[in-house]
Parts: sequence; structure tokens; C-alpha cells
Amino acid sequence: MDSRQAKEILMRYRPGTTDGSDPEFAEALEQVKRDRELGRWFERHRAFQSTVADRFKQITVPQHLREKIVAEYNPTRIIVWWRRPVFQALAAAAAIVLLFGLVYFKLPTREGKSFAAFRNRVVRNAQRGYAMDITTTNLSEIRQYLAAHQADADYVLPAPLEKLPGDGGAMLRWHNKKVSMVCFDLGNHNDLYLFVANRSDLPDAPSASEPQFARIGKLTAASWSQGDKAYVLAGPGDEQFIRGYLRGNPP
Amino acid sequence: MAHNDNDSHVTARHEFEVLVSRYYSTLYQFAFSLARNEDEACELTQQTFYTWARKGHQLRDRSKVKTWLFTTLYHEFLEKKRRQIRFPHYELSVVDQDLPNVLPATVNELDSKTVLQSLAQLEEIFQAPLALFYLEQHSYKEIADILGVPLGTVKSRISRGIAQLQQILTDEKLPAKNSKREPHG
Repeated sequence: MDSRQAKEILMRYRPGTTDGSDPEFAEALEQVKRDRELGRWFERHRAFQSTVADRFKQITVPQHLREKIVAEYNPTRIIVWWRRPVFQALAAAAAIVLLFGLVYFKLPTREGKSFAAFRNRVVRNAQRGYAMDITTTNLSEIRQYLAAHQADADYVLPAPLEKLPGDGGAMLRWHNKKVSMVCFDLGNHNDLYLFVANRSDLPDAPSASEPQFARIGKLTAASWSQGDKAYVLAGPGDEQFIRGYLRGNPP
Repeated sequence: MAHNDNDSHVTARHEFEVLVSRYYSTLYQFAFSLARNEDEACELTQQTFYTWARKGHQLRDRSKVKTWLFTTLYHEFLEKKRRQIRFPHYELSVVDQDLPNVLPATVNELDSKTVLQSLAQLEEIFQAPLALFYLEQHSYKEIADILGVPLGTVKSRISRGIAQLQQILTDEKLPAKNSKREPHG
């Protein structure tokens, strides 16, 4: 590393932060010790950086902002319904009833594994409280996360979806098979949800030629297959709205 | 049962208040750096916590709350501006211009207003990275996550942004040297 390279790196060095532990900075800082002229520049630059950082931190926060934010807090928004004790108790009761039902009536499981059942489950899940494993706008990071967790990550995104920022992703399970969920940020607090499953896990998955549409709760879902994957894309709006994200004419 | 339900509300409210206390100042400072308007910065900050109240439960990894809040605020800001321009991604490369020197006298004269006015003169792609950089709340990786761009792009934008900022401050404070940039080193 020469002094020019060291200077370029040290341009963005922040004294007193964890930057110093970054090997890139450590090497540049070593160069400072060897080059007096660089050292003089670095001293001036540090003074500049320190002053500018201080000025940012001196931006005055309006009085009562904290109180305003807290005053607008509505606890019903933050309590996820399934985390409430009353619902947990009901869920436990329901689970017991279901267990008895399964034992006594031996419900056939074939119908429960249909593609329609899969689609209904994942889309309804998106409308209730769910958790994302990773929250990022970066679609590549979501894909990397899913790949790292052995979920389907070699999915093919329709071109309009590739242009949207991500919101996050998660790995779900459907009858012990992994399902990838990718959330896209539509703005205005709306999301599009893409679910990707292995086609062989869904014997009656839709054909590759034309997406099938269904209204599930408050969302519209498009389903299609491509290669060895089955896809479900769900979001607000009608069929035309969702089509726009499949064919390159998003609203 | 009602008692337990009430306890959950109290706990959730307490957690919310702790979160607000911890982050509202720096979120506001970030918002003000971007919007340069007190009302808009307040609104962005409030909207961010409102969004948290609605969607925060989706975040499974609670260690990423800070990044989540800053990301949300940045999205709110972009949404407000209704900008459709997609920023080009720059590869991490050397700052290909001479790096300006800012004299100590210039540094001493800086105040928050001057710094923010200079920030506003930068190309837009440099403004948010620099604000996050100087607020010193985030690592480079976190800044990249917040802005939704690769790490190398963030480093490149910060370096180039600092160079531009120094140039603007040098030009403003030292008009006599406008036509001649002092070689570095």
C-alpha cells in the first residue's frame, strides 16, 4: 500500500469508532507511521472529520418530540394477536380438540397437501402476524440467506420484481418441506409476498403456461410453475395489479 | 386472563418507550440531515416509530432493531420525495480526483448549519451515506443494509462524498483558491 492508497482509505476513517479494528484501516494507519507528509495530512483530516461529526451530533432535537411519539403509541398495534394470553389459551384448547379429532376421525391428509391448501396457508399466514428471518432491502442478501439455510434460493424473479426493493425474507415449512418467502416493499406500508416451493412437493402445482389467480382474504394470489419450482405471488389489489408485477407493467 | 392481557400491554408499552428513548434523537438527526426541515424531520421520525408499532413484530432478530428503524426512516424519506430514479451502483474504486485539503482555520469556522448546507449541495447519492457516516451510529455494513446497496458502493460513496464536501467547504471559505485546487500530500 502506498501513501496515495492509504490516503484514499483514511478519507473515511472515523477515530474513536470500531473502524480502527478493520484490517484495511490498520494497514493504512501503519503507512501513516512511515510517511511524515501523510501523517500531517492525516492530522488535519482527523480534525476535519471530528468537527464535522460533532456538527451532525449537534443538530438540535425538538423538545417534546419523544413525548409526541410515545403519546401516539397505540398498544393494539404492537401486540400481535397470537401472542396475547387469551389467544394462546384458545390456541391450546383448539390444539387439544384438533388432536382428539385426528386420533378419532383420522382425517385424510391428502387433501391437506394439495396446492390450493398450500397457497391458502402461506397467503393467509402473510396476512396474520408473521416474522421475517432477515429484514433487508437487498434482494441478493435475502437470496443468500435462504441459500445458507438450504431453502429454495435459485428461484427466478419476474423482471418487475427484480426492480423492487426487498422488505425481508423467511424460511417457512409446509409439511416438513422448506418454503422460501421473499417480501417486496411496495411503499405505503404495502408488501408483495413471493413464496417458492419445490414443485415435486406439490403434486398438483399449476402449469407453467399461465398463472392462476385467486382471492385469499384481502390479498390476490397468482400461482405458476417454472422449472422445478412452484411460485405464489400475493399482494394487495386485483388480478390486473398483480399481473403488472409478472409481466413488466407494474402499476 | 384480562390481567395477563393488560400486563402484555404494559410490557409492550414499556418496550416501546425504551426504544423511543434510545433512538429518537439520532433518528431525528438523520432525518434532519436528509430533509433539512424540522417539521419534516419530526414527521419522518414519528412515522418510523408508527411503522415499528405496526410491523416491528415481524423482525425476528431483535439485534437489528436499530438498522430496521434507520432503514424504515430512509424509505419513508425516499417515498416522500417520490423519486423514481434508481441510483447507479459504483464499484469500489479510488477517488479519482485530487483530494482537497481543508485548512484548520476553515474547520474551526464550521457550524451545523454550514455543514448541512454543504451536505445539501452534494450529489444526492452521497447525502444519506455521509449523514449516517458522521452520526457514527453504524458500521459500514449496517449503512449498506440501511441504504440497500452493496458494501463496496457505500465505501465508495462515502469517500467520494467526503471529497466533495471538503471541496465545497474549501471553495466557500476560500474563494481566492477556487480556480486552483491545492495538490494533496
